[in-house]
Amino acid sequence: MSKFLKFTASIVLLGAAWASNAGAQDADAGEKVFRKCAACHAVGDGAKNKVGPELNEIFGRIAGSHENFKYSNAMVKAGEEGLVWDHDSLTQYLAKPRDFVKGTRMAFAGLKKDDEIANVIAYLATFSASAEQAAAEPAPTAAEGGETAPVEAAEAPATNAADAVIPEHGIYHLGREALPEEVAAWDIDVRPDGVGLPVGSGTVADGGVLYDENCAVCHGVFGEGEGRWPVLAGGYDTLTADRPVKTIGSYWPFASTIFDYVHRAMPFGNARSLDADQTYAITAYLLYLNDIVTDEDFELSNETFSEVSLPNEENFYPDDRLEEANFATNVEPCMENCGDGPAEIVMRARILDVTPDGDDESGAGGID
Amino acid sequence: MSQQPEKDKNFVPSRRSFLQGGLTAAGGAAVAAIGGGAALAAGTPDPAITELKDWNQYSGPGVDAAPYGVPSPFEAHVVRRDVPWLTADPISSINFTPLHELDGIITPNGLCFERHHSGVAEVDPAEHRLMINGLVDKPLVFTMQDLMRFPRENRVYFLECAANSGMEWRGAQLNGCQFTHGMLHNVMYTGVRLRTLLEEAGVKPSGKWILAEGADASGMGRSIPIEKALDDCLVAFKMNGEALRPEQGYPVRLCVPGWEGNMWVKWLRRIEVGDKPWQLREETSKYTDLMPDGRARRFTWAMDVKSVITNPSPQAPITHGRGHTIITGVAWSGHGKIKRVDVSIDGGRNWQHARIDGPSLSRSLHRFYYEFNWDGSPLYLQSRAIDEHGYVQPTKNALRAARGDNSIYHNNGIQTWYLKSNGEAENVEVS
Repeated sequence: MSKFLKFTASIVLLGAAWASNAGAQDADAGEKVFRKCAACHAVGDGAKNKVGPELNEIFGRIAGSHENFKYSNAMVKAGEEGLVWDHDSLTQYLAKPRDFVKGTRMAFAGLKKDDEIANVIAYLATFSASAEQAAAEPAPTAAEGGETAPVEAAEAPATNAADAVIPEHGIYHLGREALPEEVAAWDIDVRPDGVGLPVGSGTVADGGVLYDENCAVCHGVFGEGEGRWPVLAGGYDTLTADRPVKTIGSYWPFASTIFDYVHRAMPFGNARSLDADQTYAITAYLLYLNDIVTDEDFELSNETFSEVSLPNEENFYPDDRLEEANFATNVEPCMENCGDGPAEIVMRARILDVTPDGDDESGAGGID
Repeated sequence: MSQQPEKDKNFVPSRRSFLQGGLTAAGGAAVAAIGGGAALAAGTPDPAITELKDWNQYSGPGVDAAPYGVPSPFEAHVVRRDVPWLTADPISSINFTPLHELDGIITPNGLCFERHHSGVAEVDPAEHRLMINGLVDKPLVFTMQDLMRFPRENRVYFLECAANSGMEWRGAQLNGCQFTHGMLHNVMYTGVRLRTLLEEAGVKPSGKWILAEGADASGMGRSIPIEKALDDCLVAFKMNGEALRPEQGYPVRLCVPGWEGNMWVKWLRRIEVGDKPWQLREETSKYTDLMPDGRARRFTWAMDVKSVITNPSPQAPITHGRGHTIITGVAWSGHGKIKRVDVSIDGGRNWQHARIDGPSLSRSLHRFYYEFNWDGSPLYLQSRAIDEHGYVQPTKNALRAARGDNSIYHNNGIQTWYLKSNGEAENVEVS
């Protein structure tokens, strides 16, 4: 008997306990937790498969069984061995996805807090008819919708206004001095000259492992980009081509931008989760994918950072639009009999027909 | 008529009813009335007058039926719309202001287009702080309450995404000014001058740049030269009189008047003063302009003089047939006020001055009108704005001649709508 069948059996006992306990989980709080998932999963009206499968009616769904979604072999096998998504299996999966289903394609590292797991499951349950039924018994105590907030006179603080301490800085003496720990917590930006780099290091090889776990799901195993997610590598000698491919290697001017952006904003949906060493490693690996460094043992650190430069740095120059002919000022434009002969149509939007209307056509020139 | 009615199911009811009316109308005289009313034969009494309506007879809802008022249900089609194929995912994406449904110069808060890089941050104002650090005499932290004790200003500014009309750079692509020009809104902001806050912290003489940073999960950051920061930048907490909408940066955002929307950092939480630009993602890999020689312009901040006819346009056809007709649209310039708008109905061969009505404010939308007697013949409609510095809105071909085909951003070229004899309009380019 596989481990998954045991879980399915145990839910019969757990189900009752959970139903009576439904008030303890907070679907509203779970909605916020779900934001960590929303980069890859949709749920609710009109939810479609994204990087991950849509999660409507997830309760009772056999693992790896959603039509039209391409799962890892591991997830399909888990379903065949009897894994069904319910409160118990979701709890274990969300805590440590890659331990629970070894080989799952889901890159998410897992939710660390038990109440976050309980709440997000309660939230998902609101989109599963079977789970809603089980939880229906004790009505949730959340405030009823549509009610207007009660009107109360705003209260002033109990202290006497004359007792307020006025700081000495500035002109209006407003705000307070930022503490060094507070500045350190927020000031994580990194400049091309290395100002702002934290102490740390990581190798190309370490970065490859981290990249496969955290980045490849959107950016592709070789940085080629899945769907319309940004392409990170390649594209050399395409900047004058009909369709330029702007990557770290082909376009970006500074390696510091990689470190800064990964550290502040990646992975998408779980920002600020990579520490300095991990960020150095991923940055090193991205340089490797772009042939900027070629040695898998290369270690990027605050010490070695200045050794790296990107090939396209010299090809950026300041805004000089004002030198274009069409910026000439106080030239009275033509008002009568302009141009050669009557105007004729040379291009029509109808030909391309990519205006949104519910179909899935796609046009050129996406933004990201 | 090659338009397929089923293609228009997301468009306004009046358009669909127009199309049905237009199909049966002879001689190009489309006569379906706005709101779907049927054409009346001359001499037939109008049931809108002769029949008693429910609202003539019965009382309506009381004063508290909607504590926060919403538009009439008959306006339900007036919404922001997106173009799903543009981006990888709706969490980092954009939608568009329905310009063709608006008049005057102010964009209603719920219709201002959205652009997020990591979704809408839901920020508790009690737990929001604005920090100023870096090359200052004293790094400071402000609460929202602190910010609201500084002297306030009210200013109307347009915000335009640098990529507005970017999909049109290579040629006519999207049918509707909402999609071609709708990364645009115009709002009256209430806030504190960034200069006031910087002076409270004391900028050191070596401080030449600021970094503006957001509290959302993308940590949006842009470098801004200190001259602009000390000039007209505003730290705003109100839009059109009420608190910022969450999707516009509640509780506080930066306004960088006349400059590209990406710099107007939402959920603003930190201003750092430095001696060099930071060269973050949004000012290197994005929002730089690739030129035909493979090199790229950077720090292209200002939004140039531009205009568009909003009515008629592909989503807003003419439904009344020939006769007295109003062309209207908006014009704006990141360099100041609009001095003049010209309108052409023959694809740029001959131009007439349009009438600007409503407030004329620096770096704000201007509303223009051009009234004429339409004889029902096909027209090529264009508008051309000129700002107070004498900058003239260029043709798309002039832009391509200077910048090639891969520039994406800062497309301020003249738009052409092909008005057909049945009143439909289509996005085209003309010789």
